Amino acid sequence: MAANYWESSQRKYWTFSKKGLADVRRAQESEPANKQLIATYPLPERRLLNIYFHLQLAKLAKRMSVRQQALATAQVYMRRYYTKVEIRTTNPYLVLATSLYLACKMEECPQHIRIVVGEARQLWPELISSDTSKLGECEFNLISTMNSQLIVHHPYRSFIDLQTTFSLVQEEVSLAWSAINDHFLTDLPLLHPPHVVAITAVLLAVVLKPTQGNLQSHAQSLQTAMSTIAVPPSNTAPTTAQARIQKLITWLAESSVSIEAVVDCVQELISLYDVWESFNEKQCKEQITRFVKALALDK
Amino acid sequence: MAASPLNPAAASPNRQKSNGKLKALTVQPKQSEVRSDDEGDSNDDAPVNLAEKLNNEEKRKYVKGKKLGEGTYAIVYKGHLRTDPTQLFAIKKIKLNAEYKDGLSMDAIREVKFLQELSHPNIIPLHSVFSTRDQNLNLVLEFLPLGDLEVLIRDPDVNYSIADIKAWVGMLTRAVWFCHANGVLHRDIKPNNLLIAADGEVKLADFGLARAFADPQQNMTYNVITRWYRPPELFFKARHYSGAVDMWSVGTVFAELILRMPFMAGNTDIHQLELICQAIGTPLEDNWPGVSELEGYLPFDKDKITPVRTRADYMSTFPTIGSVGVELLMSMLVLDPQKRATAKEVLEHRWWAEQPRPTEKERLPRKAGGEQRMGEDLKRRGGEVEEDGRRGDKVAKKLDFSSLR
Repeated sequence: MAANYWESSQRKYWTFSKKGLADVRRAQESEPANKQLIATYPLPERRLLNIYFHLQLAKLAKRMSVRQQALATAQVYMRRYYTKVEIRTTNPYLVLATSLYLACKMEECPQHIRIVVGEARQLWPELISSDTSKLGECEFNLISTMNSQLIVHHPYRSFIDLQTTFSLVQEEVSLAWSAINDHFLTDLPLLHPPHVVAITAVLLAVVLKPTQGNLQSHAQSLQTAMSTIAVPPSNTAPTTAQARIQKLITWLAESSVSIEAVVDCVQELISLYDVWESFNEKQCKEQITRFVKALALDK
Repeated sequence: MAASPLNPAAASPNRQKSNGKLKALTVQPKQSEVRSDDEGDSNDDAPVNLAEKLNNEEKRKYVKGKKLGEGTYAIVYKGHLRTDPTQLFAIKKIKLNAEYKDGLSMDAIREVKFLQELSHPNIIPLHSVFSTRDQNLNLVLEFLPLGDLEVLIRDPDVNYSIADIKAWVGMLTRAVWFCHANGVLHRDIKPNNLLIAADGEVKLADFGLARAFADPQQNMTYNVITRWYRPPELFFKARHYSGAVDMWSVGTVFAELILRMPFMAGNTDIHQLELICQAIGTPLEDNWPGVSELEGYLPFDKDKITPVRTRADYMSTFPTIGSVGVELLMSMLVLDPQKRATAKEVLEHRWWAEQPRPTEKERLPRKAGGEQRMGEDLKRRGGEVEEDGRRGDKVAKKLDFSSLR
């Protein structure tokens, strides 16, 4: 992506500490007007909602064959937007479609506004208006709320470099790639710089043996992996895998990448996979529909 | 207002949408302070959210003055700080198309996107962004009262020297180097996008056609850069190109500064290509390997081929800049984009160290009355023609979705 991450608006204004992010959210939730809404319209926990939004966005993106990069940007836009705006005051489907529409423009793969509205109507006919000006207005709102800071730096570029450094094999690449895609379902894009996420993805790919199943099924063995990272392997003759982990750890130690941050990313992903077990699409959908309809946000 | 994604109940106070560089929101310590103030005094008020409040504060910082120019895309006003009327700004209000029917234009998006991130002495600074009641985006830009390079080039009463040209081209090249170093292509470099600050500093403006370098497999549109400054590869419909396209433009601006008239002023794309063949040389496989594979390349008639111009040819066209200067100019006007000088190579050239030294910016020739000119320059969309049609030709303004892919 364009521009220099270290001088970017992302680093300056859109990267939070954990506590900072929690404070922002708590403040939003404790606004008198929001308090009541929150009490009246319960929603699943944030990560479950994120999974739901991700699935919806991915469906919409697929219909329009949008590039992964734009999908990723749209996810970050949603995450940023909802740090400032209470979700129950919005129509999430409109925000979702608008995020994708704006992200496509940002990533130089623009889609016509009518196409976006049309496809969104196909997916959620009851929940989104056919009037394109609603999306246009929401776009303006999105840009305003994000302070017109629109460039998002993703882990993909760093990952492509790291892939060569650690000569990853195909399975590892795809495993790491899906770890990066999954991190958009968490708060990680608001908490850590993209290169930390990239290195986390490499670590996961190398530590886990991507022979069977996907990352999700590895949630358990990750715990073991964590201890491997914490305690570097002893002098006993290292296996090939251990040698690579060793290389990675040496590389990490010599780099200025914060190990703590990497560990935090790993944990965040593990807990995502954990929470995913309890994901119930139908329930998310119903609870969202309830407040959208009750508050006439779809009009 | 039911269209707003915000709660309709909060519609009327929410009409004024939030904006501005709301630093306080994301700097944690300040965050909580602002927050508690907010809660303190807006208990019974309808919920005006924090972002909105800060936008209004941002908006109140500036006073909009007289109109400097109006185009189809933007209106430019002179403005100043409410607290200090001597602090001047140009406020560019981007017009939304009627009732958001088509969303915000790509030009506006690109401009905001890049100016938010690029900060360099030779790039027009964006001080703030806020939105107003009628839901327009307002960009608060540095006020550049001394017009642009085109005005100086055209005005017979303005005299300038090689040392002055050296200063201007140097500033332009530094701006372009910075863009490229940050992975941004400007794609519309020309004299009237080079505005002049009160202290004489040249500032590259108008990022309406700018974009990030494409990923290797991603296509870009070739319909960019105003015709007179457009490199041959774009006439041949190259879909993969690099910073070299901007460097050609820098070369043509350099030549124009020396000649005091456009170096190659084609009336049509075909005519422009003919002028390039005449002035630089005919693009052929032997001077540009691979050129014949470009989509828009057509073989030239054998009897119409002009060999690539030699240094002696350039010396006769540009006698005043000397042989080292000519060498630098030629390096930017190489047909093959792979062999064209990069911004970094230009900056490392020995011409800069040679006498005369570049003029200090404060002592550069200037011309009063540039205010209106700034209005004219900023209201334009990228590649747009002047009303009188003097300046080259426009580039694609309609979004061509297929070519942008």
